[in-house]
Amino acid sequence: MTLLECRGVTKAFGSLVALKGVDLILEEGEILGIIGPNGAGKSTLFNAIAGLVPLTAGSVHYRGRRISGLPPHTVCRLGIAKTFQIPQLFPRLTVLENVMIGALYGGGEGLGKARGEAAGWLGFVGLTDKGGLPAATLTVSERRRLDLARVLATGATVLLLDENMAGLTQKEMEGTLSLLRAVRERGKSLIVIEHVMRAIVGIADRALVLNYGERIAEGRPREVMQDPTVVKAYLGEAYA
Amino acid sequence: MARRAGLSYGLFAFLALAVLLALPLWVGPYGVRLAAVIFMWAALAGSWNLLAGYAGAVDLGPVVYHGIGAFATAALMMRAGLPFLVSVALAGGVAAAIAFAIGTPTLRLRGAYFAIGTLALAESAKQLALAWDRLTGIPLTGGSAGISLPLSAGYLPFYYLMLAVMTCVTITAFWLERSRFGYGLRAIGENDRLAEASGVDIHALKRRVYMASALFIAWTGGIEGYWLSYINAAEAFGTAITFQMVVMALLGGLGTPFGPLLGAAFLTLASEFLGTRFVYHYLIGIGLIIVIIPLFMPAGLAGVIRLVKRGRPLTA
Repeated sequence: MTLLECRGVTKAFGSLVALKGVDLILEEGEILGIIGPNGAGKSTLFNAIAGLVPLTAGSVHYRGRRISGLPPHTVCRLGIAKTFQIPQLFPRLTVLENVMIGALYGGGEGLGKARGEAAGWLGFVGLTDKGGLPAATLTVSERRRLDLARVLATGATVLLLDENMAGLTQKEMEGTLSLLRAVRERGKSLIVIEHVMRAIVGIADRALVLNYGERIAEGRPREVMQDPTVVKAYLGEAYA
Repeated sequence: MARRAGLSYGLFAFLALAVLLALPLWVGPYGVRLAAVIFMWAALAGSWNLLAGYAGAVDLGPVVYHGIGAFATAALMMRAGLPFLVSVALAGGVAAAIAFAIGTPTLRLRGAYFAIGTLALAESAKQLALAWDRLTGIPLTGGSAGISLPLSAGYLPFYYLMLAVMTCVTITAFWLERSRFGYGLRAIGENDRLAEASGVDIHALKRRVYMASALFIAWTGGIEGYWLSYINAAEAFGTAITFQMVVMALLGGLGTPFGPLLGAAFLTLASEFLGTRFVYHYLIGIGLIIVIIPLFMPAGLAGVIRLVKRGRPLTA
């Protein structure tokens, strides 16, 4: 069953067209990878789906319902939540409270239940012992895990993960990969933006390549990476 | 541990309230009046703190609701012939309704734009109030001459009324510290983009607290107007009131329930003490205090008290 669908999503910032008629389909239980050079429009696509930037043209549908034009908090409550490329947090709230915000408002729960839920997700990402600290004290890798826990706590079924593995060591990356597989086993569907090719090959069922705001390839991750258009976009004419 | 701290805070607040309720038994008229002035500023600074301290929106036009409260109370008393307390209560409702209308567009502005927008709004409101009678032909503000209210009965009722409003404001701040709504507001104050991406309806939450703040400010303005039995638009809508609210909240400690109370008490007492001794130069002293406290105690007076209690610095 199709969970999320983008139809001809176009976004222009003045004369700069960041997305040109991008089509995308996410099936239930799927992990879709999005790759592309810097400035390809990957993060803009996420912001467009999440309602954080208004579309210039096109539409986004979730379970058959049009969600483009809805405010971000409504999109989140419907079941689509995103992490941020630069991990975002509420710096002076504790780590546990950061996750609670997701459960309280994204999940619409009361204080007691939200606290329990948040503690559960903190355990899931391995941050239980940091729960009482102000979030500003976390390292980059911990911030990424906190971001993931907050998104999970909203109860969303579609997770948009924006470079959740950037800047991580090999070992941390493997930890995150197994974490994401565990997330999928809990019935979530994921769209993952990633620069690390090995990460995409290791986890995605399907990959979509963006370049200058356009979809240039789509298919199984390994095949997509052999595609001459993709190689050209990344490395230039000589390697294609 | 947080629960025990909450309990001891609550006990302390309860005892403090009991002492304040009985204070007029021991203290003479001067002391009671001075305390009422402190409560008034604590209520005003505390109301400002609800929005700025928790939702992080710096409002430089809260005095609009002070003026509306004062003139709406006066109009309801003198035109509609309603009793004073009913008039004040209704004036709060009027202010909250206007706050709904004003807040809906202005609260969408962020950071400095919201501050500048509300500052401009307050100035326009003052000019409108000054010109109201001439423009509309409906006598309400008395133009630059202002209006006189019926003489009020003594000072004691005002002591208790100001104490009541201050208590309402403080209880609201306490509630924000531990409620679902308060968590939402603090999330907005810390990172509004992330808050809305996490499901927080940032405009609705900010507007709700803005309306609550307008309600309390209007009550204070209404009570003050009747107490002084004379109001004029230039003062009731004056930016001096706004800036005193801001300074007191910052001195006391932003985003804490007791901070604005401490700031109001400290600054009022300092002005009173210095003002009677150095009649011509005391403002220099006040200016120095306002500069020095934030410089050396960025978390305000409440931050210092918390520091002493915990024995270690707060993580910013």
